[in-house]
Amino acid sequence: MTQSVSDPKQTNLTELENTTPKKLQNFLTLIDKSAIIILGLIVITYFIFITLPVASIFLNLDPTQIGTQLQNWQVINAIQLSLYTSAIAALLAFTLAVPSAYFMATRGFPGKTILDTILDLPIVLPPAVAGIALLYAFAPKGILGPTLTQLGITIPGFTIAVILAQAFVASPFLFRAAKTGFENQNRDIYNSARILSGSQIHVFFTVSLPLNMRNIISGTLMAWTRAMGEFGATLMFAGNLPGETATMPLTIYTLLYSNQTGAILLSIILIALSFTVLVIVKLLEQKRFGAKK
Amino acid sequence: MIQLDQLTKSFNKKLVLKDLSLQVNNKEILCLLGPNGCGKTTLLNLISGLTPQDSGNICINNQLVSGQTPTKKINLKPSERKIGYVFQTTSLFPHMRVEDNIAYGLKALHLSNNEIKTRTNSLLEFIDLSEYAKYYPHQLSGGQKQRIAIARSLATQPHTLLLDEPVSAVDPQLRESFRTELKNYLRKLEITVIYVTHNLSEAYIMADRIAVMGKKHIEQTGHPPEIFDNPVSSYVARFLGLNTYTGRALGIHDNLLEIEINGIHLYAEASTKLTEKTIVTTIKPDNITISKLGAPQLSDKPSNSIEGTITEMVQMRSTAQTTINIGFPIHARLQINTIKELGLSIGDKVQVCFDPQSLNVFEDTDT
Repeated sequence: MTQSVSDPKQTNLTELENTTPKKLQNFLTLIDKSAIIILGLIVITYFIFITLPVASIFLNLDPTQIGTQLQNWQVINAIQLSLYTSAIAALLAFTLAVPSAYFMATRGFPGKTILDTILDLPIVLPPAVAGIALLYAFAPKGILGPTLTQLGITIPGFTIAVILAQAFVASPFLFRAAKTGFENQNRDIYNSARILSGSQIHVFFTVSLPLNMRNIISGTLMAWTRAMGEFGATLMFAGNLPGETATMPLTIYTLLYSNQTGAILLSIILIALSFTVLVIVKLLEQKRFGAKK
Repeated sequence: MIQLDQLTKSFNKKLVLKDLSLQVNNKEILCLLGPNGCGKTTLLNLISGLTPQDSGNICINNQLVSGQTPTKKINLKPSERKIGYVFQTTSLFPHMRVEDNIAYGLKALHLSNNEIKTRTNSLLEFIDLSEYAKYYPHQLSGGQKQRIAIARSLATQPHTLLLDEPVSAVDPQLRESFRTELKNYLRKLEITVIYVTHNLSEAYIMADRIAVMGKKHIEQTGHPPEIFDNPVSSYVARFLGLNTYTGRALGIHDNLLEIEINGIHLYAEASTKLTEKTIVTTIKPDNITISKLGAPQLSDKPSNSIEGTITEMVQMRSTAQTTINIGFPIHARLQINTIKELGLSIGDKVQVCFDPQSLNVFEDTDT
């Protein structure tokens, strides 16, 4: 049995050797092997390229200084401000983006694609452009400026500007995630709910929203991290006022030449946060309904 | 009762339904039978209001739920049409327990907790799944899920139940028993049912009446045997798996209509009005018998007895689908026993016989 199976193989091999010159064959094997080695080297280089800068932050931290830095008012203010503004920005994004995503995913109307593209725009927009755009909209000389002035509201230079800049830049991440979720919701499940319940709001809160929670939570987390890391638009639109608009990224920039340990500590906090969020998002992507025991 | 009047619907300029009219009687189980992609699901979606029609009227229980009156346009929401809808895929809410799934429509109606509890329990009893109240959908089999989907759609006490290929969500080896179960539940319900399927035997088992759906409209409605015995178009006949041929009616001999198909002359009991016309004739595979060449004729009346060659035999459970070339291919369903007795195999020459009564002849309208 075994012989009859292995026999044809052998003849095949000899045939191959006969048809391809031995030298060429060796050369091809060599290329194949070196390609794998080169590929490995590329992967290692890429990995180092990404991890080295991150690691060097940690390597430059003087642990004995952490205590002192945690009493530095600039550092403390930045942490407090960033937590507070990014949380409100994420909440604002949630309030605006999730219902809009539901609407866009479940309704068809003329001009939908254009509207959709515009809503995604801040994802690719350079932050500096976002900053100047917000200025021309909300600054006293901007489009809404006169109205806001009449109401006694000034935005640029204040904490609210930080929140608006963060929400502007970060909300599309949530919008996208939520919209994808609503678009991919099981049509039959959604329609079953529509037939049984006369209220769109009831269907949304009892079926669409709970079934898309994973998408929405991971979208919100992504938006929150993006808000936390916002730099360019905040700097242009809100300024860099300690305690008022100087968020963690802006304070890192300020402290770079005066208090490096402070800058490093803030960076590490941001890295830790971003990393945690990424891990949670990945876990959420893996978890499925019915997977739990 | 459901009355559909001249329904037309297109998607992206592609016509799916055209002037479709259909009436479903009170408390009858109507099977909407047709090949995949003929628009059956679209029709259910129009009736339920999930999709609006382009034109035409829909009446449920003598009430116009969607369409045009002389004075205004009406389009009731799906939840206002008093219908239940069971979908092709298991559409239970995966994040709710069985009892909450069933109670969903009741909670939307803001009934009292007691009322919800009572109705949910009696529905669970009806589908014999009381002990599964606390389970989640992913812990159940396909058949159980579909039974719960039926209970859920019945909770709001609809006048009409729409079922879209409910058996397809069940494991293939359990489908037959699920069909029987389902049939019993539907009979007990005594409400109007529209049951969509592409499966002939399923329609035959389930239906009080069958509506065969062709491209964009209803081809024929009738009681199951009626449809199988007297298809009115070559489309229906082909869909039902009957031998279907186009030919010419020649004239009358001995009260039988002589027809000619591909040079072969056959006799049928059919209307004389068809003489000289292009006709379609159908023969059920079950009505064809086969004997060895030269076997004696049983009667001396003109009959259809033609020599042919077996070209194909596909064995099923107790029968074999046999194709014989008699100048054109004809399919016969033969008992395995008969085949063994006659010792038939592919390539054998045989005598193919069928009664003049077994031929169904009608004027060709499809061309």
